[in-house]
Amino acid sequence: MLPRQGIVKIFSTFIQFDGDRFAHWAIDSRLHRNMTKLLATTSSSEASENFWVIYWHKAWQNRPGGIAQQHLSAYLQEVCFWATNKTIFGFTSTQYTVADCFQIAIARVDKVLKGFNPHQGCSLKNYAQITFSNLIRELLRQRREIDICSDWALLRKLSQKRLEQSLKNAGLPTKTIEKYLLAWNCFKILYVPNRASSTRRLTKPSKEIWLAIAQLYNRERTTQLCDPGEKVSEETLEIWLLACVRATRAYLYPNVTSLNQPRPGYDSGEIMDTLSGEIDDSLLTEIITDEEVQERDRRQAEMSKVLITAIDTLKPEEQKLLELYYAQKSTQAEIATELGTKQYNVSRKLARVRKSLLKSLAQWSKEKLHISLTSDVLKDISELLEEWLTGHYHHQ
Amino acid sequence: MSDVALFDPTQLFLELDEVTINKAWLKSQKANTSASRWQTYLNRLCMMVFLPWLKEEQNQSPQTDSFQTNYWELINGSAIEVGDAKFLLVPSEASDLSEMRVPQEWVDIPSWVADYYLAIQVSVDDGYIRVWGYGTHQQLKTNGVYNHSDRTYSLTEDYLINDINALLIARELCSTEVTRVPVEPVSTISATQAENLIQRLGNPEILLPRLAIPFTLWASLIQNESWCKRLVEKRRGTSSGIPDRGSVLQWLQAGVTNLARELGWREVEFQPSVVGARGIATSSQEGITPTANVALAKQIQIDKSPYELKILPLDIEEGIWGFELRSLILGGNIPAGFKLKILTEDLETFEGNEDLATTAVEKLYLEVALESGEGLVWVVEPTPDEYQPEILRF
Repeated sequence: MLPRQGIVKIFSTFIQFDGDRFAHWAIDSRLHRNMTKLLATTSSSEASENFWVIYWHKAWQNRPGGIAQQHLSAYLQEVCFWATNKTIFGFTSTQYTVADCFQIAIARVDKVLKGFNPHQGCSLKNYAQITFSNLIRELLRQRREIDICSDWALLRKLSQKRLEQSLKNAGLPTKTIEKYLLAWNCFKILYVPNRASSTRRLTKPSKEIWLAIAQLYNRERTTQLCDPGEKVSEETLEIWLLACVRATRAYLYPNVTSLNQPRPGYDSGEIMDTLSGEIDDSLLTEIITDEEVQERDRRQAEMSKVLITAIDTLKPEEQKLLELYYAQKSTQAEIATELGTKQYNVSRKLARVRKSLLKSLAQWSKEKLHISLTSDVLKDISELLEEWLTGHYHHQ
Repeated sequence: MSDVALFDPTQLFLELDEVTINKAWLKSQKANTSASRWQTYLNRLCMMVFLPWLKEEQNQSPQTDSFQTNYWELINGSAIEVGDAKFLLVPSEASDLSEMRVPQEWVDIPSWVADYYLAIQVSVDDGYIRVWGYGTHQQLKTNGVYNHSDRTYSLTEDYLINDINALLIARELCSTEVTRVPVEPVSTISATQAENLIQRLGNPEILLPRLAIPFTLWASLIQNESWCKRLVEKRRGTSSGIPDRGSVLQWLQAGVTNLARELGWREVEFQPSVVGARGIATSSQEGITPTANVALAKQIQIDKSPYELKILPLDIEEGIWGFELRSLILGGNIPAGFKLKILTEDLETFEGNEDLATTAVEKLYLEVALESGEGLVWVVEPTPDEYQPEILRF
């Protein structure tokens, strides 16, 4: 893959695939125009990559979605590409292509932007790499799950939120979605595995169960639905539930060719004002100064020292574990084989080592930075630690 | 390939081995509907593997309330207390991890509120539970979405904290963390109203008892442990259907509860020497049992005449109790043919459990030795007016 040259391209071009391989960078002319104009109005000192990352992230925070998201999505193309490649590579039995997973991951760029905290000293790229990797890992796992589940088992393995999203995604009207959700809830109450395990092979419910589902639905619809609608038969319910199954499967296997393209909605009014070519000054005032950058770097260095000291005090096998996991990117299954133990043990040990590092870092933050260690703060510290570990072992 | 290979390293997952799975399944068979059996099963699995893990990670040992196996019949979620913090495990089979859905009971009933809510995915097929995120009560109330249809608070995955270690460290290094927001107290209902609700919701054909009546009413019913237990037993059909009135010993020591008072029970003075029962003289002389001078009494009406049933603590240490029936009319007797009977809580008879008046007598009297916690039902023949069987615990 050729690296992109110049700020304008970095924030306005997208990867095009040839099958599963990188083909070329495609310019989004709208984004390109916007960056060129903005760049012309700014002084050269502000033209660094980092400046624009922070600028667009600020803009995104003020107005999620919109053109800022497109610019940052362009910016994060390589990160997402490599995260996809590495993650998929770890799974030998995968039937999923890089292009496919890449498109799905980049479509979730909002998750990266939402979770990213620029004041923490993380770089957006590093943060994005971890988030994309986790996203793809989860995606692969969920796809595998729905691939091996029967339709009826699949219905039991959904959260209501996911089903709702899937039905929305399928373009169904709100009232219909409401009815389907109630039907699904009735199904879940009445059709329950009757053995301790093997929940993935549930067969079609029996006639009696369908009748009971219909009975429950028809009773509950009057209280649970805004619009109770007609009384429905068990045949109708079966049709509805199968529609739920299709929507759910489609949600995890979207038509990927369209995902990386700018979405149609953004072409209307929203773009007009941003395309005026003016830098939003209110965002500039919040952009961090050089001193702040220095302060941040200094803190980062201190943090590194704390963590390196903490790692040095770990037992040799614990150090080995970190190295295997973060440097060699071994999967937990591979580590288990290498260390001659069970995978659950690897996971637990890894968690324990991470906990001790997290604690060192938390204590240091509390003493040096006078931060009150609430769960939210610890969440940030935990993410920082993950980022640091990934970076630290990567550079070794 | 095990699913485990795909996990996020910051999430905790714990193995469910075959022994655990079978044990949890066997222990969940008492449940009333197939859905509540499955709910019980999932909650049990979580508790069986999460508790040992937590014990290992924490210096304080976690406490659980054995009563909550009853809640699983009605509501999802398992509470654990560690030190002064309460965790709620929220198991789900959903494999997509999009949200944590917490029943409203655990969020809006003051005595049920927890500090931390843990989202747990249970995968029986792959044999693991995964603790994939957590949030506080405050987060649930501020960022959670309330769903009217199933009365839950749902917190989407982006609000949840993945790393369970963050929770443990927050507890360790910042025990003052604000986790809760105040919630409205739950209104109270009368025993009669509760009894009516139990009768109505106790019908197992009502599959969703928690959604069948307004939440405030439901909350006031189930926040009372003994009503909740009765409801569960009624739905399961496991009990005789007789209400459990609670501990007689506690009434003697701490005063008669409002409920018991509503049902006619009150404290009366009791002079052991008059009764002349064994063991009393010594214990009251030495003053070992300070409650020995208080007994319980209840007025009943048979054929328009008033009588009094008394329960006498003859020797609390040994668990020896007396039951006595007398007429309240001055100089009145118990007519011939009257019978005082005591049954076990399953309505079984036992040796020496009845006293029959073959001729008119001054009193009917029974004495029994009981294990602590044992329950009894009293019966008088002919049946008193407005008689309602009740289980009394000793």
